[in-house]
Amino acid sequence: MSTPEAALEAPGLPAPHVPDWLDRLGARLADRVNPIVVKELRQHLRTKVFWVFFSLMLLGCLVIAMVASLAADESDKAGLGSFYAFFVALSGVQHFVIPYTAYRSMAREQEDETWVLLSLTGLGPRRILFGKLTSFVLQGALYASAAAPFMLFSYYLNGIDLPTIAIALTLGAVFQVFLVSVSVSLATLAESRLVRGLLHFVVLGLLGIASSTGIGIAVALAEEAPRKFADPEFWLAIGGGGFAFLTTALLLFESAASRLSMPTEPYAAGPRVLFVIQALGGLAVFVMAWVLDGDDDILMAGLLAFSLYVAFVGLFIASDRDSMAKNHWARHARFSLLAPGGLRGFVVVLLVLLVGISALVGCFGQEDPREPGLLNVMLTAPSYLLLYLGAAIVIARWIPHPPWQTPAMVRLVALGLFTIGAGVPPLVGAVVSEGDDRALNLLNPIVGLVNVGRDGDLAFTHVLVVAALGALATVAAFLMLLKRDVKWA
Amino acid sequence: MSLLEVKSLSRHFGALKAVDDVTFTLEAGTILGFIGPNGAGKSTTMRILATLDVPTGGEVLLDGRSLVERPDQARPLIGYMPDRYGTYDDMTVFEFLDFFARAYGQKGQARVDRVDSVMDFTGLLPLKDKLTSELSKGMKQRVALGRTLLHDPKLLILDEPADGLDPRARIELRELLRALASQGKAVLISSHILTELSEICDSCAIIEQGRLLATGPVSEILHRSAGAAPSTEVQLRLFVAGGSLSEALTHAERVLLVQPQVKNVSFAQDLIRLRLELDAGAEAKPQWVDEACARLIAALVREGVPVCSFQTRQLDLEDAFLHVTKGRVQ
Repeated sequence: MSTPEAALEAPGLPAPHVPDWLDRLGARLADRVNPIVVKELRQHLRTKVFWVFFSLMLLGCLVIAMVASLAADESDKAGLGSFYAFFVALSGVQHFVIPYTAYRSMAREQEDETWVLLSLTGLGPRRILFGKLTSFVLQGALYASAAAPFMLFSYYLNGIDLPTIAIALTLGAVFQVFLVSVSVSLATLAESRLVRGLLHFVVLGLLGIASSTGIGIAVALAEEAPRKFADPEFWLAIGGGGFAFLTTALLLFESAASRLSMPTEPYAAGPRVLFVIQALGGLAVFVMAWVLDGDDDILMAGLLAFSLYVAFVGLFIASDRDSMAKNHWARHARFSLLAPGGLRGFVVVLLVLLVGISALVGCFGQEDPREPGLLNVMLTAPSYLLLYLGAAIVIARWIPHPPWQTPAMVRLVALGLFTIGAGVPPLVGAVVSEGDDRALNLLNPIVGLVNVGRDGDLAFTHVLVVAALGALATVAAFLMLLKRDVKWA
Repeated sequence: MSLLEVKSLSRHFGALKAVDDVTFTLEAGTILGFIGPNGAGKSTTMRILATLDVPTGGEVLLDGRSLVERPDQARPLIGYMPDRYGTYDDMTVFEFLDFFARAYGQKGQARVDRVDSVMDFTGLLPLKDKLTSELSKGMKQRVALGRTLLHDPKLLILDEPADGLDPRARIELRELLRALASQGKAVLISSHILTELSEICDSCAIIEQGRLLATGPVSEILHRSAGAAPSTEVQLRLFVAGGSLSEALTHAERVLLVQPQVKNVSFAQDLIRLRLELDAGAEAKPQWVDEACARLIAALVREGVPVCSFQTRQLDLEDAFLHVTKGRVQ
C-alpha cells in the first residue's frame, strides 16, 4: 500500500503546485516578519485545537444561519437574534480559547525553558512578547474573518444595522487584544510550578468572566447603538473604552517586557511612556465628556479615576530600583526621564500628577458658579497621594538591610501605610469620639477627602495641612532618591 | 589578548556569595573544563557569561568588549547551551533550527544554507524532517548544540552537555567539541563526569563555594595543589607457581624499598601498589616517568621478583578535583 506522499508523487497524479512567485513572496515576507510570529502561526495552525474550534465555529455559524433564515419569515428582527448567536460563537473562541492558548504558549516557554534560548537570540523580551501577542491577534483575525460574512448575513435578515455590526466587531477585536495581553503578561509571572498551577485557574476564571461580560456589552451595544449614533457622548464612550482597553493592553505588555528584561537593558522607557499616555489620555476623555455635558460630577469622577490610576500604576513606576546599570549612564542623559532608576520614575509620577491636576483645576476655573468643595478635593487628592508614596519610598530605603530597599518593599510599605491611614482613624474614632472626627481623619485618604469635599470652616486648613505634609514627603523622597542615585553613579 | 577575560567576578544573593571573586581567562581554540560540586557556583557563573544574569561586581571582557555593560553586543559572540536543552516538541529538526536562525537575524537563502551546514556538521541531516519529540536524548542534545552554532559564535558555553548521554553519544559529543575547538572556537564546558573532561579539556577551573580554587592545565593544577613533586601510581602483580606468595611479597618489598623514587608501597593479595615520585628539586623532564619505570622493572627482574603485570596510572582530573575541593557546597 502506498503512502499518501508516494501517491502524490505517482505518475498521473499532479503534486500540489505553489507558483514560484507566491513561494518567493511568502519567503520574503516571512523574512521581514518577527520570527516569533512565523513560529507561533506555524505551530498553532497545525494543532488540533485550532482546527477543532475553527470547524466548530463555522459549523455553529452555519446552523445559526440556517435557523435564522427560517425564522426570518416570521420575525422582522431575526437579524438581531442571529447577530447575538454569531457573536457568542465568535466570542467563545476570540475571547476565551485564543487568550487561554496564548497563556499556555507563554507559560510553556517558561516550563520547557525555551524562554532562555529565545532571550539569547538578541530578540529581547519586548520583541518576543510582541511576537506572541501579534500571532494570537492574527489568529483572532482569522476567526473573525470567517465569522464576519455570517454577521453580515444577519444584516440582511433585518433588526441590526451595518455600523453596529462594525462597531461590535471592532470592539471585539480590541477586547481580544486586551485579553491576549492580560494572558501573556500573567504567563510571564509563572516562574514556579506552584504559581503556574494557581495562575492556570486564575486565567480560566478571568477569561470566563471577561468573555461573558464581552457578550453582555455586545448585546447592550446592539440594543442601544442605533438610537445613540447621533450622540457625541456615545462615540466618546466607545472611543474612551477602546482607548482604555488598548492602552491597558500595551501597559501590561510593556510591564511584562520590563520585568523580563535585564537591568542592563532599557526596561523603564516603555511602561513610563504608556503610564503618561494612559493617565493624561484618560483624563482627556473625562475632560471632553465634561465639555460635552457640563456636569461637575464628570470632573469629580475624572479626578478620582486619575488619582487612583496614578496612585496604583505610579507606585510601580516610582518604586524602581536605585539608579541604573553602568551602560545606561553612557546611553542616557543624567536626567532623561526614560532612563531606569527610582529617581526618574518618581519625577515622572510628579510631572504627570502636576499636569493632570493643573488641567483639572484649569477646567474648574471655567466653571461658573464654582463649587469650592470640588477645588478642595482637587488639591487634596494629589497631596494624599504624594504623602503616602513619598513616605513609603523614604521608609523602605531608610532601613539598610535586605529585603528593605527593594521595589517590592516600597509597594508593601505604601500599601501598609495606606491601610493604616484609612483604617485606623475610624477605629480610634469609634472608641474615643465620633467616627468621622475631622482632626482624627486628617491623614485618612478616604474620609479626609470626603471631609474637604463638604467644604466648611476647617476645609481650607485641612487642605493646607495635607498639602504641606505631601510636599514635605515629596521633598524628602526626592532628596533620598537623588542621594542614592548619585551614590550608585 | 584572551578571547574571554573574567576579572574578579562576583554574584551575591543577599548574604549568599554564589560567585566570589572569580578570575580566569580562556583562549580561542581551547576547551576549558569548569568543575565543582553541586551548588559551587558553576551554573551561576555560566549564566553571567551567557548574559542571562548580571554580576554584583567584577568585569567580563569578551573579545575585548565588556559583556556586562553591553550584553546586546556580546550575545552574537556567545553560544550557550543550558543544562536543560529545551526544544519545541511539535517542530521538526529543520524547523527548530530554521526558527532560531531567523531569531538570530539570518535571512533568505543564506539562512537555509547555514541551517543545512549546521545539520551536516552535527550529523542531523538524515533527521531534518523528524519531530524533535521523536528524537533520542543524544540526538536532542545535538539539536541543542546545533542551535548554539547557528550564529557562528566565538565562545561556546555548555552546561553539563554530557549529562544523561549514553557512551556512544558522549564520544560523539567529544569529537564534535574537539572539531569546534580546532575551528578556533573557545569552549567552556561543565560536567560531573571528570574523566570525560580530562580527555577533551586543555585546561580546567575548579570552583567551590563560589570561589575559584585552581585554574590552568590539569597537570599544572596537580602539581600546584599537591604541593609536591610530580608522581605516578604503579600497580604490580606477582605470579608464584608452587611457591609461597607471602615470601615473594616480602622479597619484592625488600627490593622496592631500596629503589630510588619509590614511595607508599602497599599490598593487596598478589598486588603491589606504589607511587613513583620525582625527587624534590629535580627537573621534571617529559619522559621522567618512563625512565623511572624502566629502571624499576630492570631492578625487579635483576632481583628475581616474579612480576607478571606492571601498570602505571597518571594522576588525573579526578585526583586533582578531590585534592583541591573539600566537598563543601553553598
